[in-house]
Amino acid sequence: MVSMSQTSVPRWAWDASAPAAEPDLRGRVFTLVVLPGAGDVADRWSTALAGRDVRRHECGDVDAAVAALRADLAVARVGHRVLVAGTARECLAVRAAGVRAGLGDDEMAFGVVDTAERAVWCVHCDATTHAAVELEAVVPCTGCGRRLLVYPHVSRLTGAHLGFMVDAETPADGSAARPADGSAARSEGEAA
Amino acid sequence: MNARIELVVATVDDAVPGIRSLALAHPDGDRLPSFTPGSHLVLDVPAGEGRPRRAANAYSLTGESSDPRHYTISVLRCAPAAEGGSACGGSAWVHGLTVGDRVTATPPRSAFAPIHLATRHLLVGAGIGITPLLSHLRSHVRWGRDAELVYLFRDGHGAHVDELKELGGDRVTFLADRAGLAEDLAVRLADQPLGTHLYTCGPAGFMDAVVDLATELGWPSSRVHLEPFGVAALDPGDPFTVGVAGQVLEVPSGTSLLEALEDAGHVVPNLCRQGVCGECRVDVAPGSSPVLHRDLFLDEETRGAGDCLMACVSRAVPAADGRAHLEVTL
Repeated sequence: MVSMSQTSVPRWAWDASAPAAEPDLRGRVFTLVVLPGAGDVADRWSTALAGRDVRRHECGDVDAAVAALRADLAVARVGHRVLVAGTARECLAVRAAGVRAGLGDDEMAFGVVDTAERAVWCVHCDATTHAAVELEAVVPCTGCGRRLLVYPHVSRLTGAHLGFMVDAETPADGSAARPADGSAARSEGEAA
Repeated sequence: MNARIELVVATVDDAVPGIRSLALAHPDGDRLPSFTPGSHLVLDVPAGEGRPRRAANAYSLTGESSDPRHYTISVLRCAPAAEGGSACGGSAWVHGLTVGDRVTATPPRSAFAPIHLATRHLLVGAGIGITPLLSHLRSHVRWGRDAELVYLFRDGHGAHVDELKELGGDRVTFLADRAGLAEDLAVRLADQPLGTHLYTCGPAGFMDAVVDLATELGWPSSRVHLEPFGVAALDPGDPFTVGVAGQVLEVPSGTSLLEALEDAGHVVPNLCRQGVCGECRVDVAPGSSPVLHRDLFLDEETRGAGDCLMACVSRAVPAADGRAHLEVTL
C-alpha cells in the first residue's frame, strides 16, 4: 500500500473521518456550492460566514455545480474563496472546474459527506466509470469491460482516478505471460 | 562548488545617482545563455581593499532574457563598514569596475520566475527592487501577456524609468511616496481578476507593507511572490562552538558558521551568504544546542525537525546549561 499522503488523492476524498474544512475568513467574497445531501455542512459554513459577502448555490448535480461556479468565477476578483459541499466524487469534479478556472489550492475548501463513490478514468478506452469502489480495488470499465485497478492518483483537471487493466500481463486466452527476456516466445516457436 | 562563468565589463552607465548599470559580455563576444525572467547572477567579490573576506553578491538581470548579447545589472551603492555602513563592500566594488575588467559569476539562477498559469501579472517594485520586475515586464510585453507595473522611487533616483515607460506605456505607474503607494494599491489590489499573480521586490519594509495589504484584501499566499534582497543586517550573535569531522571550532560573535568552517579549511557549497538561496545547508546531529534560524529559506516544518541549518546566517543559542554547541556534518 502506498502512503496516501504521498499521492495526489486529497485526504478528504478517501478518509470518511476527515472533518469538513473551515472557511478561510481572510477571503472577501465566498462562493458556496452545495450538492444534494450536503446542506448541513453548508449551513455550518453559512453560519460561520454570517455578515460576509456569500453567494450560495444549491445544485442538483455536478453539471449544475460547475455551471454555477464558472458563472461566479467569470467575474470574481482575487480574494474570492470557494467552498464545495458534496460527495468526494462531486467535490473532486467541482475542484477540477476550479483548477481549470485558475483557482489555487488555498482558494478552495471542501466538505465531504460520503467517500464511497469514485470516478475512474480508463486509460485504454477513455471512458469514465462512476462506481462505489475502494482505492486499489478493481472495477469493470463501463466503456470496454476491462477490469480496472483504481490507482491512488486523481487528475486535478478532471477529478477522476487513474484506472488501468489489472491483469494486463495476462493474455486474454489465459496462457502464461511472456517473460521480459522473450524466452517464452522462443519456446512457443519451437513448439510450433 | 558552483560552476563560474567569466564575463567582461562592456559598458558602464552612472546616469542615475548612486546606481550603476553594467553590461557584462562573454570574453569572446559570443552570445550568453538565455535565462528565466527574474533571474540573478551572483558576482564574486574578491577580498581586499577593506573587505576582510571574499563575498558573493546577487544582482538581478534586467536585460533581454532570450539569447542575450549582454547580461545587464543595476547596482545600488551601499556604504561598506569602512564608511560607517553595514554592507560587505560588494556594491562599492562594482561601482569601481571599469570597461574591460574581468569578473566571475555564477550562471543566471532563478528564484522569482513568472507563474505561467497566471492570466495576469501585477508587478510592484520599489527603488533598486525594480530590476527583476523590469525583466518580467520585458518578457510579458514580448509574449503579449496581461501585465501591469507599479514603481515607487524617490524623485531623481529611479533606475530604468525611461526604459520602463517605453516598454510598458500606460501599463506602468510611477509613484513617489509611500502614502501614494498605499492609496494606489488599496484600489488596485482590491480589483484584480481571479487569475492574477502579484510579484514584489524592494526593501524588506516595503515588501512587508505590500504583502500585508494584499493579505488584508484576501490575497492567498499562492498568488503573492517575493524576491528578497538587501536582507537587513543581522546582529553579530553570541559565540558558540561547532564540532565537525572530529574537530571543535570556535565561532566568535560577528563570524558566521560558514566563515568559521571555511577558515578551518572545510568546503561548504554556498552562494548568497545571506540566508536566501538555500545552498549552504548543513546537517545538524543530535547533541546540539537549539538553533537560532535566521534564514529565509527553510520552512517551519524543516526547522521543527531540527536536523539542519543555513550555515551563513544561523547560529547556536545557549541551552539551559549555558552551553552553545552544534555538531554538524558536511
